[in-house]
Amino acid sequence: MKNIKHWIVKNPDLAFAVLLAICVYSYFALTNEFFATHRTGYAIMERFAVLGLVGLALTLCIIAGEIDLSIGSNAALAAVIVVRFTDSLGAVTALVIAILISTLVGAIQGYFIAYLRVRAIVLTVGTLMLLRGVALFAAQEKTVMLTDFRVPDFISTKMFVYFSPASLLVIAMFIVVGLFMTFTRYGREIYAIGGARKEAVAAGIDLKRPMIIVFAISGLCAGLGGCIIGLRSGTAQALGLQYLLLAGTVAAFIGGVSILGGKGGVVGAAIGTLTVNFLNTGLVFNVTPAFMIQLYLGILLMVVIMFQTGSRLFEGHERRKQLLSDVDIRRLDLLVRKNAFKPPP
Amino acid sequence: MRSASRGMTAKFEGLVQNYSGLVVALVVLFLVIFFVGMATAPNFLTVFNLKTIVRDAALVGIMAIGLTFVTLSGNFFLLSLKETAALSIIAFATSMSAGYGFEISFLFTMVIAIFTGSAQGVLIGLGGNPIVVTLGAAGLLYGLGAYWSDNLVVSFRRPHGAEWLGTGSFLGLPNITIAFILIAIVAELTLRFTNFGRQVYLIGANRAAGRATGHENFGMAIKTCVIASVCAAFVAIAFSAQVSSAQVNYFSSEFGSSGDMTIMVIATVMVGGNSIMGGYGSTIRSSLGAVFISSVDNMMVLHGFNSGPRVLAVGLMIVFSIMVFALVRRGSRSQE
Amino acid sequence: MTALLKLSGVSRSFGAIQALKAVDFEIGAGEIMGLVGENGAGKSTLVKIISGFDDGYTGDFSLNGESRRFSSPLKAERAGVAIAQQELSLIPAMSVAENVFISGEHAPVFATKSSLARKASPFLKEVGLEDVDPYIPVERLSVGEQQLVEVARLLAQQPQILILDEPTAALGESDSIRILAMVQRLAQRGKSIIYVSHRMDEIFKICDRITVLRDGQSQEARTAKELDVPSLVELMLGRELANMFPAHPEILRTKPLLEVRDVWPDGTLEPFNFAVYPGEILGLAGQLGSGSGDVLAAISGARQSRSGRIIYNGESFLAKSPKEAIARGIAYCSDDRKLDGLFLGRPIIENLTSPALGAISNRGIIDLKAERDLALSNGTKFTVDVTRLDNEAGVLSGGNQQKVALGKWLAIKPKIILVNEPTRGVDVGARAEIYAKLRDLANDGAAVVFASTDIQEVTGLADRVISFYRGMQVGELALSDITPTNVLQQITHPFGDEDKQIKVVS
Repeated sequence: MKNIKHWIVKNPDLAFAVLLAICVYSYFALTNEFFATHRTGYAIMERFAVLGLVGLALTLCIIAGEIDLSIGSNAALAAVIVVRFTDSLGAVTALVIAILISTLVGAIQGYFIAYLRVRAIVLTVGTLMLLRGVALFAAQEKTVMLTDFRVPDFISTKMFVYFSPASLLVIAMFIVVGLFMTFTRYGREIYAIGGARKEAVAAGIDLKRPMIIVFAISGLCAGLGGCIIGLRSGTAQALGLQYLLLAGTVAAFIGGVSILGGKGGVVGAAIGTLTVNFLNTGLVFNVTPAFMIQLYLGILLMVVIMFQTGSRLFEGHERRKQLLSDVDIRRLDLLVRKNAFKPPP
Repeated sequence: MRSASRGMTAKFEGLVQNYSGLVVALVVLFLVIFFVGMATAPNFLTVFNLKTIVRDAALVGIMAIGLTFVTLSGNFFLLSLKETAALSIIAFATSMSAGYGFEISFLFTMVIAIFTGSAQGVLIGLGGNPIVVTLGAAGLLYGLGAYWSDNLVVSFRRPHGAEWLGTGSFLGLPNITIAFILIAIVAELTLRFTNFGRQVYLIGANRAAGRATGHENFGMAIKTCVIASVCAAFVAIAFSAQVSSAQVNYFSSEFGSSGDMTIMVIATVMVGGNSIMGGYGSTIRSSLGAVFISSVDNMMVLHGFNSGPRVLAVGLMIVFSIMVFALVRRGSRSQE
Repeated sequence: MTALLKLSGVSRSFGAIQALKAVDFEIGAGEIMGLVGENGAGKSTLVKIISGFDDGYTGDFSLNGESRRFSSPLKAERAGVAIAQQELSLIPAMSVAENVFISGEHAPVFATKSSLARKASPFLKEVGLEDVDPYIPVERLSVGEQQLVEVARLLAQQPQILILDEPTAALGESDSIRILAMVQRLAQRGKSIIYVSHRMDEIFKICDRITVLRDGQSQEARTAKELDVPSLVELMLGRELANMFPAHPEILRTKPLLEVRDVWPDGTLEPFNFAVYPGEILGLAGQLGSGSGDVLAAISGARQSRSGRIIYNGESFLAKSPKEAIARGIAYCSDDRKLDGLFLGRPIIENLTSPALGAISNRGIIDLKAERDLALSNGTKFTVDVTRLDNEAGVLSGGNQQKVALGKWLAIKPKIILVNEPTRGVDVGARAEIYAKLRDLANDGAAVVFASTDIQEVTGLADRVISFYRGMQVGELALSDITPTNVLQQITHPFGDEDKQIKVVS
């Protein structure tokens, strides 16, 4: 019990995220008889497959002190590519091509952000539109469709009650990225450039590597997410998937990532995404119109912001207390010496 | 005025000293594409077309001018401008359709905008991150607007008190264009010659130094958020006057080929060369940015392209100008 | 001794300012080379070039006889050159062990927090931090301990050539001696060390040769044996020490202008008490982390305090923000002008008028003529080059930047001027000008309180000195007692000399 308490104090934002997730789930489970069923669980996990990827990508970007506004456009481009080429090349090849392109796009953006020393938000405002144009081009202004809708069904095969190849792949990605961020040097670099950019550069860290890694992962997630959506529905629109950016960002914040960078993690990303999913699915079950869903999402985000602000103030207060107590310890030792010292006459 | 131009020459001197080969190449490429496009587009340089360009830039331009205050002061962006406009347009149209007339509806809408702007400004001034705060506010504002109007269209009959703004013209220019020009002039004068404007630049250039010299960000955040929200509300009113109706999703789909107003406004501010970190730039730049984007789009339309290449061209130009400004700034920052 | 590293004719300019002019520098294997020079002489620029942090220079650079150019710190490290910088490069939220390995080739790719702690422990031991918990975030360490972590990180990169930039600036006596012993051990093992320091005694204790930089130019390295402190100082300054500082007038200390009562800034060990008299320049002496600068920040509202107040102008209060202090005519200039002393991207004229917008405007509208007049007058008083008022403050040299950072405060007609490190990064000529101006301000009836880690500056400028050590107020010196030895003793070992004589351990 004490360990849990200790963990909560050390990770307040994550603990709050878990609390929120439980609350939102319980609310809908108790008020709607269809919510806590196996089928709903499967639907939630299917949604998680895409939203989770975006939440993961944006969590990483925000940890690095940046954000990828072009993620929606990148996903749409991947969706268009995979749907257009499945007929001729087969789903798997088309998938691989689409993901390679989206990862490359991400990596190039990461490179320029480091090289030009420009903030990602500024560059991705432009690439958001640029990629949309490319997607329109690739789709030739139409909605692309598969001829045989059954071809990509395999990615949605139900496995282990709640899962499918898509969602299992995404969960695997979460695990790999999580291990990467916690246990490798490159992951630590990403935390460093996010939380203390100036100091990290002064320490000799080259921005190019962590930026390229973060934005390549973002591109990979966008591409994979776009492909999953495209293959599942069998259609793709060049201007679609813009909601992914907002949903992913909200999921990331609900999961406890700090906008200041350098804090947050993969587990938070997963929990934040699940919470948003619960909310979404639950509201849809209650036949809530789309704009109200956005309103509730906004309220949820506000709740998280209030909590994070409060937690930051509390943290600042605690840090000051810690500093003062550290000082008091040092004080004792030196005061003893000061009082014992007799100056020469 | 003389000191301002002296300042500009001094800055230009500084820039010229630091050009690198890559910057020059990019700028040249950039200008070549632009001018070739301009020269080959049929009817581009006619008075009518130029007036169209400015008119098309007006609505985004006014919102960009408002956002520029926020950016210059170092408070980044407001991601809630589109939704502020959505709420405002519903407020205005509801009031107009209830028969209250232009003046009262205008005032009513502005009061709401001032209130929502201040609320966001307070949170930001207290230390909240602008991106997160305004993201949350966006959802709330949109939801409120949708709830208020039951997500339906609100319309008011013609002729109405706002005709002059929506469709009227004066001296051959549409009134909305005149509003754009006036607002741009007033904004620039404020930034250059008032205490408030000076504080915007100082706090934006270095918040810590601003605090050390007695200028706190709390008041500034509120004021700039209010300015941006009021501009968004004005745009909403103008648009509503044009179409004499309102629906909460107007700004989500009606604007330009790209459809996302927030992104367009942010891109406009960046294309003008304003620094996202604050302290550098001006509202004139944002206005020119709006006209620039509008002219690229216009050029593409005249060439007969449809939405794909248009969006691509606008996106490419935005990325280009961002890169050029970043490289120039990087060059001039070589002294650490 | 054949040179391991050799720079010839290296020049570096930033815009119009030439930081290095055809500098020659070399160091051999197993040699400890002292690099000394005044503030603003170019030491930082030189070591940044050698360690790969700066690539914009012209000239020859060779390592082991091969011509090289380090375009990044990583490349320098691969070639065996690494640096422990003066400025902060620790990630505050990360643990000690993580910071030791945050950069550099020898950092393991896969590691847990505990494996990093294990790997870091020998390096932490080498610098004397074996008792520090490697898991705690570095923001909880004292300034001195943080400096030692930076040195540990340097050691972890296992370089052939080490550059230490002011490694003992925040260290007490025993810690400093330990670092010196470590340096000597490394040299015995064949490593080369470039030791940058202001501490003459350290330079003479361990350096084989000494290179002096003055105004961006280098002189041929001399062996430590050939020199002594006075001759070294003369080489550094190019003129005699005495000329830089204005004369001390007679000061009547009857009624204090400002009284500091029990002000206890966060991070210091005890409350501070002292008085400041009109017409005097009071010097607060102490190393980094001693609290000397913190008390000035606390008085001006820039830093939080646990308790305390000041008595000034009949009022007893403690400013909670700089705005409150400014309103009462108290000016405060911090030790980091780039952080909060200047608006680098804005024109100089705006910088000079920034604290007093009310004075140059009429009902909210700026009177351009009044602004220019004020900027011209205050700029001239501080001998800033006023022909370029419309240029960005960022193009100025360090010395001119500091003059603007200080000069802008004239706009509020301050009665109390608090300055932390008045001449950090400032060249000799500008230093003399700044000292002269501070003297003028005091002579006009104001009081100047400055904190400085530069012993020469404290000795020369102050009419009275209050000493600080590790967050405590430890002593006071009247004008006749202010000597470099006395000041150094009070700020490094005020409680007796049981730390002083420690032998070199091999």
